[in-house]
Amino acid sequence: MAFSFLRILTYVLGLVGTSLLLPLGVAIWKGEAAAVPAFLAPMLTGWCVAITFWLLARGRPRVFDVQHAFGTVGGIWVAICLFGALPLYFSGGFPTFTDAVFESVSGFTTTGASVLSDVESLPASVNLWRCETHWLGGLGVIALAVALIPLLGIGGFRLIKAETTGPDKAKLTSLIANTAKTLWFIYLALTAAQALLLWRVGMPPLDSLAHAFSTMGTGGFSTRNASVGAFGLPAAEWICTVFMLLASVNFTLYYRVLTGRLGEVAHDSELRTFMALVLGAVALATAVECRSWECLGSTLRAVAFQVSSIVSTTGFMTDDYLAWRPAAQVTIFLLFFIGGCSGSTAGGIKVIRWTILGKQLRNELRRILHPHEIFTLSINGCPGRETFVPVVASFVFVYMMLVLATTFMGALAGLDVLTAFTGALSMVGNVGPAFGQLGPTANYGTLAAPLKWFYMFAMLAGRLEIYTLLILVGRACFLRRRVV
Amino acid sequence: MKIFVIGAGFTGMQLARALVLERNNVVLIDNDPDRVRDASDQLDCTVLEADGNNLEALEAAGIASADALVTLTEDDEINMITCSLVDSVYPRIQKIARVRNYAYYTAADVARRRAKSAMPASRPLYGIDSMLNPEVEAADAISAAMEHGAIGSVIELDAEFGITTLSIGEGSPLVGAPLAELSKLDGWHYLVAFVESNEGATSLPNGRTTLTVGDQIGLVSRLSDIPQLVTYTKTPQEKLRRVVVFGADRVGSLLLARQQKKQHVSLWRRLFGISSGDAFQKLVLVDRDPVRCREAVERFPDVRVLCGDVTDEALLSEEDIFSCDLLVAASGNYELNLVTAAYLKSRGVKKTIALTAHSSYGDIARKLGVDVAVPMRGTVVDSIRGHLRGGRVEAVHSVCNRRFEIVEGYISPKSSVVGKRLQDVMDLGAFLVLLYRSAAGAAYEVPCGGTVLEADAHVVLITHAGDTRLVARFCGRE
Repeated sequence: MAFSFLRILTYVLGLVGTSLLLPLGVAIWKGEAAAVPAFLAPMLTGWCVAITFWLLARGRPRVFDVQHAFGTVGGIWVAICLFGALPLYFSGGFPTFTDAVFESVSGFTTTGASVLSDVESLPASVNLWRCETHWLGGLGVIALAVALIPLLGIGGFRLIKAETTGPDKAKLTSLIANTAKTLWFIYLALTAAQALLLWRVGMPPLDSLAHAFSTMGTGGFSTRNASVGAFGLPAAEWICTVFMLLASVNFTLYYRVLTGRLGEVAHDSELRTFMALVLGAVALATAVECRSWECLGSTLRAVAFQVSSIVSTTGFMTDDYLAWRPAAQVTIFLLFFIGGCSGSTAGGIKVIRWTILGKQLRNELRRILHPHEIFTLSINGCPGRETFVPVVASFVFVYMMLVLATTFMGALAGLDVLTAFTGALSMVGNVGPAFGQLGPTANYGTLAAPLKWFYMFAMLAGRLEIYTLLILVGRACFLRRRVV
Repeated sequence: MKIFVIGAGFTGMQLARALVLERNNVVLIDNDPDRVRDASDQLDCTVLEADGNNLEALEAAGIASADALVTLTEDDEINMITCSLVDSVYPRIQKIARVRNYAYYTAADVARRRAKSAMPASRPLYGIDSMLNPEVEAADAISAAMEHGAIGSVIELDAEFGITTLSIGEGSPLVGAPLAELSKLDGWHYLVAFVESNEGATSLPNGRTTLTVGDQIGLVSRLSDIPQLVTYTKTPQEKLRRVVVFGADRVGSLLLARQQKKQHVSLWRRLFGISSGDAFQKLVLVDRDPVRCREAVERFPDVRVLCGDVTDEALLSEEDIFSCDLLVAASGNYELNLVTAAYLKSRGVKKTIALTAHSSYGDIARKLGVDVAVPMRGTVVDSIRGHLRGGRVEAVHSVCNRRFEIVEGYISPKSSVVGKRLQDVMDLGAFLVLLYRSAAGAAYEVPCGGTVLEADAHVVLITHAGDTRLVARFCGRE
């Protein structure tokens, strides 16, 4: 079993190593001599390890079972986060290895919480790599590996299930590799479209690409200290708003649009709730925040951007929401609890879970009034989905427990209550900015090193929807009981 | 005709009895010794103890010379396979199978249509000429009765014409005058097919017949005219907004599926539901079985499903069932259906429809105050006899507690009535020609005395039950 795990791990590392070609090319093009070895060394190491294992593993049977799928996925994510930290550390832009790993975890989990106060001093290639980690982690490196490496086809669905988000995971096509390819193709196409649009409205080409990576992964790293707001391009802000929302919609819906099944998209319960939430939050915050008719346009732009940024768990900013009126701030705060749709690149509890719990609540109330009536819970027009309720309820419970534990850790490290709580929500939900000392203009560099490590755990747990990481930790510690 | 009937259950016995009365040579086969003994005691026909799907036994009984095979066992699969077996050796024999599984029934229907469009000469699936689904027929009958406001049962003859059974209420202009003078009434152009008086006496009407309050009459009219009929008969009528269906088994769920299809309303119509009028009904389903309830709630999202006993007073008052407009008792327990319908009617439900075991319950149902009784097995026997009547008969419907039959068929070219005027072949009190459509004609018309009967014309007759000679006079015999 250990061999199977190592084999998959090395393939994924080889793949992530290959993706370093892009920042490496940029480093050579921009003449950033110091950064070239930082990318080259990890890349070659990754390749060597992958090729060695490929040679060793030829002809060996591929075995996979349920118990190992979760452990494998958790292990791979820990490994790629460490691997992705190498170029950052070697480039010299990060003071300690802890900071480099924090940045890398924050990147791959699409959180976007940076330890740096001045990212503009980093080489362009390093900044691009930071944003690229969002893009790789957004839809999932394992999904990418299954799509690209034919060897992983067998048992691949179990791996992808452990990595994708939401309670209901379905294959789009009969072959899981084709499903993964389709999703990654849609992802690639949307990213390319956004990069081109940003470039058209006047953003420099490299920044366009970096921000497209960051938006589609719903990460939040930027090449500028003041994030998207630094460019002063209203059109670019609107483009980012739209694409942040697009990235937080279930990607299987795009497949349905492409195959002409628009009816299913129109009846998607989660999409409907999501759109209602976003429109409601924008309307509410704009009404609270708008100070005069003249500034309605700019307020709407800023509010729409910030609402999309938080609900999609991206964490970009154009305006400091801590300077807003309290009611508008609370609207933003509530969005921390929601997150995007399942099967998207966004984090958080996910809209579908709230939808299910809401419908269950309605059924409970109706049952009190009509004790003999039978109720069903339908999701996306499919009735009989009551089985999701306990699954979702226990997930929300575990999620909140993790948030509370992280809050306690933050407080232990000396943060105030508001900062500790919102910071925990932000970490577990993969958002990025928080309130208080960790507001949108602050950074995570000042935190104590032990808290940084705990935050890394929280980010990974949030990205892998907790169970995957809990099982990994649990197996290592106390679940080692064998049946026979 | 020589007819094989496989399965001597209730329907098999009823069918065999009706066929024997019509002087057919019937062979009844069942594998249960007790049933076989009963059947041979009661019926004047050959009764054999054998497995229906045993081809050798069937051959020994002389299936080679049979004209038709009807399979009515409890098992759909045995019914279908028996037909298929016999078809493989004797494709000439007409085969009728009872298929209760709705999925089989619809699948066979789809397969037949596809095959027909691809290869017009193809044999029917499994060699079965007609599949009968008693539940579908019962659900259709209930659905038709509901559509017309549960004022009476409706026999739909084609898409346009039907025969509606209505009771005459207080203040009806039809009361008192002989039927011949009714044509003086404004806009009255309907034909009275049969009259069933308060006391239970039935007759085929003539010009001198007069009607009294409480009589049940069968009226031939366009289906779209049914609301106008009620203005003459003054049958008590209600708007049916809240409908309670009791029983979520086959008939109940087929009925709901039909109602749901009918009432598919858009979101906008639903938002302004007040203006959408009568079409919008609120449906409530009651069943005792939690599993069936769960299935129903998943199948019919717009229907409220209550799990409980329909005789449970607490449940009924809790959900305010007594104030609903229509109760359809469509469970598999036919006696309970009647009792429930009668009870709820007495407690204030405006209209009730009950699914009953067979058409003989019609009388009791009416005496109990049930508005419409839809017989379950009667429909099967009728429709099998329609298929088997031979000659050019298309369909047979029993009315008035099986005392009359409405026969749809074509006039045989060899018939003695061809070329004569209707008034010359009239035999008052024996039969009536209700509708007539000449071979070239597109639609039915109500015939008059001067109508000349042509060969190959389509007629709808009402006769006394079992009067095969009269039917043979019109439609001929094989």
